[in-house]
Amino acid sequence: MSSSSWLPAQLTSMAHNVDLLFYIMLGIITFFFVLVEVLLITFLIRYRRSAKNPVGAAVHGNNVLETVWTLIPALILVFMGAYSVRYVYEAQNPPAKPLVIEVIGHEWFWEFKYPNGLDTHNDLRIPAGQNVLFDIHSADVIHGFYIPEARIQQDALPGRITQFWVNVDAKDVGKQFQVPCDQFCGTGHPIMVGQLTVMSPDDFNTWMQTELQKQQAKS
Amino acid sequence: MEAVLQAPRRSFVREWVFTVDHKKIGIMYGVTALFFFLIGGLFALLVRTDLLSYKGLFDAQSYNEFFTMHATVMVFLVIIPMLMGAFANYLVPLQVGARDMAFPRMNALSYWLYFVGGIIILLSMLYGMPDSGWTAYPPYSLTSQGPGMDFWVMAIHIVGLSSILGAINIIVTVHRMRAPGMTWNRLPLFVWSTLVTAYMQLFATPALAGAVTTLLLDRHFNTVFYDSSAGGDPMMYQHLFWFYSHPAVYIMILPAFGIISEVIPVFARKPIFGYHAIAYSSVAIGFLGFFVWAHHMFVAGMQMSAGIPFMISSLVIAVPTSVKIFNWLATMWRGAVEYTVPMMYASLGFIGSFIIGGFSGTIVAAVPLDMHLHDTYFVVAHIHYVLFGGAVMCIMAGIHFWFPKLTGRMYNEKLGYLGFWLYFIGTQVTFFPMHLVGLAGMPRRIQSYAPIFQTWNQVATIGSYILGLGTIIILYNLMVSAKYGRKVGHNPWHARTLEWTVSSPPPEHNFDEIPVVTDTPYRPYTPEELTASKESA
Repeated sequence: MSSSSWLPAQLTSMAHNVDLLFYIMLGIITFFFVLVEVLLITFLIRYRRSAKNPVGAAVHGNNVLETVWTLIPALILVFMGAYSVRYVYEAQNPPAKPLVIEVIGHEWFWEFKYPNGLDTHNDLRIPAGQNVLFDIHSADVIHGFYIPEARIQQDALPGRITQFWVNVDAKDVGKQFQVPCDQFCGTGHPIMVGQLTVMSPDDFNTWMQTELQKQQAKS
Repeated sequence: MEAVLQAPRRSFVREWVFTVDHKKIGIMYGVTALFFFLIGGLFALLVRTDLLSYKGLFDAQSYNEFFTMHATVMVFLVIIPMLMGAFANYLVPLQVGARDMAFPRMNALSYWLYFVGGIIILLSMLYGMPDSGWTAYPPYSLTSQGPGMDFWVMAIHIVGLSSILGAINIIVTVHRMRAPGMTWNRLPLFVWSTLVTAYMQLFATPALAGAVTTLLLDRHFNTVFYDSSAGGDPMMYQHLFWFYSHPAVYIMILPAFGIISEVIPVFARKPIFGYHAIAYSSVAIGFLGFFVWAHHMFVAGMQMSAGIPFMISSLVIAVPTSVKIFNWLATMWRGAVEYTVPMMYASLGFIGSFIIGGFSGTIVAAVPLDMHLHDTYFVVAHIHYVLFGGAVMCIMAGIHFWFPKLTGRMYNEKLGYLGFWLYFIGTQVTFFPMHLVGLAGMPRRIQSYAPIFQTWNQVATIGSYILGLGTIIILYNLMVSAKYGRKVGHNPWHARTLEWTVSSPPPEHNFDEIPVVTDTPYRPYTPEELTASKESA
């Protein structure tokens, strides 16, 4: 993980999009945050009680103002919602012919099953530039499969398959990231962390084959 | 006065244990909730102490028990009973001009049920504490060892029943027992907000009872509600749980909004701005609060796009909340603001902190952002800005505001300000860094964590110690001042709601004669009235 106190590295183009949405919302929020805090502090100081200012003005309300400060937040919030919808469908609909990796949560490790039958524990490797779809479920309790650098997670449930897909930028080949469990699952929850390695497609295929042979040789 | 002096002295048992007086029951709720506030706070400090080092200072099992107990105690035994048990009980009959609640005996029953529920939670500390988080998601909660989970289920049931009975009492009292002339348009905003909250409790709490009952049956009677291998579905629990627990977040904040609507106009010495907007926005929040629950489940296995309607409703519910904020600010505009302790909690403490929780709420409401931030420390930061920066700040505003009414004495102001500043600074130092590590992807509910997050976690822990110190000072001040504080008259703040028209503490039956209401409670004292009241005092 590259950052200890802000958004981590962006592994996918979707992560770029999510961050853009975050910064737009953060901008709007910061504007209103500053507005409210400035008004609050100003009113506290400017209208403090004194011998000259013993009682406040007899103002009971103002319907125009009420309408304004109902409609403006409503419009902005509806804009935020509408703007977000596109990304939801983008994240939901997997692209055609992805590489499918099965993710199984256990107390307390991640099991990954690759298309050629290779089976690893806590060792997740994906090829850069390819669409990778995760089929996620759990062998026991609920876990949370989370890749912070891809800005996405889905719970791993028993008896139900959840999915998300990623397409990792080629610039990240060779980098490693952590895949923490993000849904409380017992005493091993904090140490249930997988390792994600981004590989070039060729290296990935070679790795998948050699690892499989090693596994078969062992058994 | 003579009559009071001549009244026979009743034993402690008669005076308190068998009482059906809403004021005494309210005080009992308040004292019990403050006791549990210390217990829940102690667990919070244990959690934060563990996180001083990235390796964790305690073992994982103890840590899991600590955060489960912290949230369970704070939600079910502190904030809800404090607002709807203590404040609503004490104030609603007084503010509507009634002699007591509609059902005084049921009122006592709901207190004692709460008390028993609390004892059960305390007993679990001896026999094994629950360890599955306050959300108790199955299947994990089904596999939880020891009797802790069963204590938890039992306590939730009993406290839930207490909550439903209390809600019925408030609803009937507000609808049927208002004094002549106390029209809906003259009803204090605190009463408006508790009425809406009571309806929410009445309709939401049964879903929680269903959730925990099925959990108990699955644990001990071989049912398969949440066993997917036998056709059950663990997600069903989450739907039931959040159908209660999201409204519960509003149950914990709406009465707090009500307190703010009473405190700000009194100290700004100005009519509340937009009375109807504030009252109706409470109703809107109460209604919309039932349509947002699945925003806790965006990544729980729902189809992602099924989250869209819940995203929209969660964003829309921010509108009535922002309407309230603007109205409170407008109440201070052109006012004559006095910097009393309750006003500091209400203005800088509550508005200044709570809006951060409100804004971060819109961030996590957006499905694409929640895909990243769900179950990270960002959510922990959000909920604590809402519940600590929001509800607890309001509770402290309310306690200091009505303290002279309860006791006839004033708290020590210097200690009051000290407590406020420790709370205000402690809140920011504890909870703000959690946003930062959450953005970076630090999951919640972990006893040890990646070393890069250690610095901000240590800052948060120092903040929590500041809050602990503040709590000790505040409670010390209240306890000592209740006995030795400066005596004050019946209306030291020059407020208009009916509780300030009677003596402090109020007589046993509140009003010798039921008052006839002719005016809104939000007309501030005129300079002439102020002079007159000073002369009479």
